[in-house]
Amino acid sequence: MNAPVKLQERFHQVQLEPKDYRDGVASFWCPGCGHNGVLTSFLRALSDIGIDPQNLMSISGIGCSSRLPYFVKSYKMHTLHGRAGPVATGAQLARPDLSVVVTGGDGDGFSIGGGHMPHMARKNVNMTYILMDNHIYGLTKGQTSPTSQLAMKGTVTPFGSVEEPLDPIMYMLAYGATYVAQAFSGNVKLASQLIKDGMEHKGFAFINLLSQCPTFNEIDTAKTFKSACEVMDTSHDITDLNAAMQVVQKARQEGRLASGLLYKVERSTLDDRMAELVTRVGGHKDYDLRKVIDLSRP
Amino acid sequence: MQDKTKHDLIIRVGGEGGEGVISVGDFITQACARVGLDVYTFKTFPAEIKGGYAMYQVRASTEAVYNQGDIFDVLCAFNGEAYDMNKANLKAGHALVYDCPGDFEPEIPAGVFAYPIPMTQTAKELNNPRAKNMVAMGALSVLFNIPEASLREVIETKFKRRGDAVVQGNLTAFERGQELARALKKTDPWAIGVPKADAKRDVIVMSGNNAIGLGALIAGVEFFSAYPITPATEVAIYVSKHLPKRGGTLIQAEDEIASISQVLGASYAGKKAMTSTSGPGLSLMSEMLGMSFMSETPCVVVDVQRGGPSTGMPTKHEQSDLFLAIHGGHGDCGRIVLSVENVHDCVGLTVTAFNLAEKYQCPVLLLSDGSLAFSTQSIPYPNPDDYKIVDRLRWDGKGEFKRYALTESGISPMVDPGTPNGMHIATGLEHGESGMPSYSGENHETMQAKRFNKLKTVASDMPPAEVDGDGAADLGVIAWGSTIGVVREALQRLRAEGYKVKGFYPKLLHPLPAQQFEDFGASCKRTLLPEVNYLGQLAHFVRAETSLRPESYTICGGMPFTPEMIVKRVKEMLA
Repeated sequence: MNAPVKLQERFHQVQLEPKDYRDGVASFWCPGCGHNGVLTSFLRALSDIGIDPQNLMSISGIGCSSRLPYFVKSYKMHTLHGRAGPVATGAQLARPDLSVVVTGGDGDGFSIGGGHMPHMARKNVNMTYILMDNHIYGLTKGQTSPTSQLAMKGTVTPFGSVEEPLDPIMYMLAYGATYVAQAFSGNVKLASQLIKDGMEHKGFAFINLLSQCPTFNEIDTAKTFKSACEVMDTSHDITDLNAAMQVVQKARQEGRLASGLLYKVERSTLDDRMAELVTRVGGHKDYDLRKVIDLSRP
Repeated sequence: MQDKTKHDLIIRVGGEGGEGVISVGDFITQACARVGLDVYTFKTFPAEIKGGYAMYQVRASTEAVYNQGDIFDVLCAFNGEAYDMNKANLKAGHALVYDCPGDFEPEIPAGVFAYPIPMTQTAKELNNPRAKNMVAMGALSVLFNIPEASLREVIETKFKRRGDAVVQGNLTAFERGQELARALKKTDPWAIGVPKADAKRDVIVMSGNNAIGLGALIAGVEFFSAYPITPATEVAIYVSKHLPKRGGTLIQAEDEIASISQVLGASYAGKKAMTSTSGPGLSLMSEMLGMSFMSETPCVVVDVQRGGPSTGMPTKHEQSDLFLAIHGGHGDCGRIVLSVENVHDCVGLTVTAFNLAEKYQCPVLLLSDGSLAFSTQSIPYPNPDDYKIVDRLRWDGKGEFKRYALTESGISPMVDPGTPNGMHIATGLEHGESGMPSYSGENHETMQAKRFNKLKTVASDMPPAEVDGDGAADLGVIAWGSTIGVVREALQRLRAEGYKVKGFYPKLLHPLPAQQFEDFGASCKRTLLPEVNYLGQLAHFVRAETSLRPESYTICGGMPFTPEMIVKRVKEMLA
């Protein structure tokens, strides 16, 4: 496998404008969709970080949000519903010298792909996961998602949802993500800063961007997301897990959503540990296989 | 009983898990392989974590051995349960070596040659109760001519790292067992044959699962992800020990969906990647196999088949995932399916699987099975330099890169991420040449044709399926997987009795090499297709894709066929 490289070798290599990272494909999102804000923020973060597009792998699953890689210059994969995370894990371990960013929705990440989330977090896979959280299934035209509010009406819940939503931030904090942040996607200044910091963070960076669906979600509008994320929750010690959880809980109790960089710690990444393991056993690609085969002589 | 010459002997050792049954089997296997005998073992493990009935059967011969045999010639029972489990098969002419005094008193059937050996008692007298198995092995070596010097070497090698005292303790028990046996009068005709002067001694002894791991290493696997599942886990265990030495990465994923997803991610990133699983895991992977085909991302998936459906009989043998392997997945989805006959194949065909995946940029499934998974066999030492290794076609960097460029062969160059000017998207959406989504009917027809047409030459990349026998036959037997080895021996016996029979042994099962089947069928009046599944899965495909109408012979009792079963069925058909 390629040896991990230092971040400074990957970043600040080129000076490109945000628009230079925009692939030619026209966006297919509805007018007023919060995902446009995510795209703008992402492009700005890429420009700020100065990454050569060919050193970026942009990977997604299925959903409105998962179309994002088509709009960004990079190496990219558009995979299956829920599977962007493990695909990206494989790609990252194979090429730790490249940056890996996953973009996906709340259904993609926390419903069908929910089984993968804890493992990327606890293994500290060195990548950035941008969750474009609109509290709804948009591509299938309006069903409740794991982050939809209780009693929300969807096409399969005409009498209102009877399920409690999960909190992506609490989830990620609990499972050991080493960088956890949240913002409103319309706040491009903050969102782009959080994405940039997330990409510079060595480890699993999870960024939840509240992103309105003006077509199918009448409850969670740009206005409500904007106001819920207005107050920055950054006065706590961001290396203190309990403090971060308390901030998130407190904001909820106040009817807000905790915003900003909420938690960040350094921990050895999966690819680093894999590389250490190879070093420990003296591994190299020219290791003589006969030594292995000889072990099976009778 | 089948007429056996002295060159071939089958010893079955049975006892409580943890009593050293498996060690005795391993030691006899290694000792026989060292002197140049061909060995083929068959074992059953207890389902319990500790205890339970364990059985290890060694077949050793001066000639090539293709399968586990019909039934044992010699039974060595460590305890009453082992005796009870096997007494129905204990017939006149067999030899029985048993623990006496032990926890049981066998009724010796008429004509059985019985040798009571105080295994437990002797080990206790030596203050080394764990060496009961060595007492038994000493007795077996004297009674049945198991190469003694070689056994001593194996004991010394295996116990060396536990210190001289342990080596000596085991050797002493072994010698006591020999003395006990010498005191008995040998009355049976059984003995392991003397290897031929030109017997191949440059061999290795491996299980099917380990051999698949070795094949992957020879092929140049760089990334391996798997989730534990019986009976496939040992593939990952073997690879985990050795892949880091080659600088590669092995990861245990959270489930099989994640395994195959990680494999595709690593493969897209330019690495040779694989996973191994069994039927339930393959079911979970089927959606991603479609992604592999659609996005033309190479991957190798090993399926060590077990008894299904659902949780089924996880530790038992079956060949019942062929339908899933060939057609598991939604939409029109192509792939290549190979199957292995024996441990030798496990090495070579795993290399082939990687070569085909790299060349055709599609999923390649390699089917093994439960009995082969744990069967250890002696095979010629595989020289890594003797294998042809194929790498994917990579873009030469000239002109504009189109990931899914329409080419004459249907194969489009790939490019590793990080390469200048090669940026593109690999996608599961239908797409045009550049990778951008395209839902036009015309484009879908064009791209499906591209993806399927490239598979038309797969058969020409492999040696043709082996035809066993010449000329016209009254009956042709078609077999796949480890059943092939059983059929080989059955046909030898039938031919010795004057029957005109032939065998056909395909290793490429999809795309089915139909013309090869036709050619074989044309030389046979009738065909028979034995396989270990209920539905007759390969027979189904043969009937669907060729003009052959093989008679199905299916069993699904958790055990492989025996040569005698095939002989009997063929005789009935030709009566």
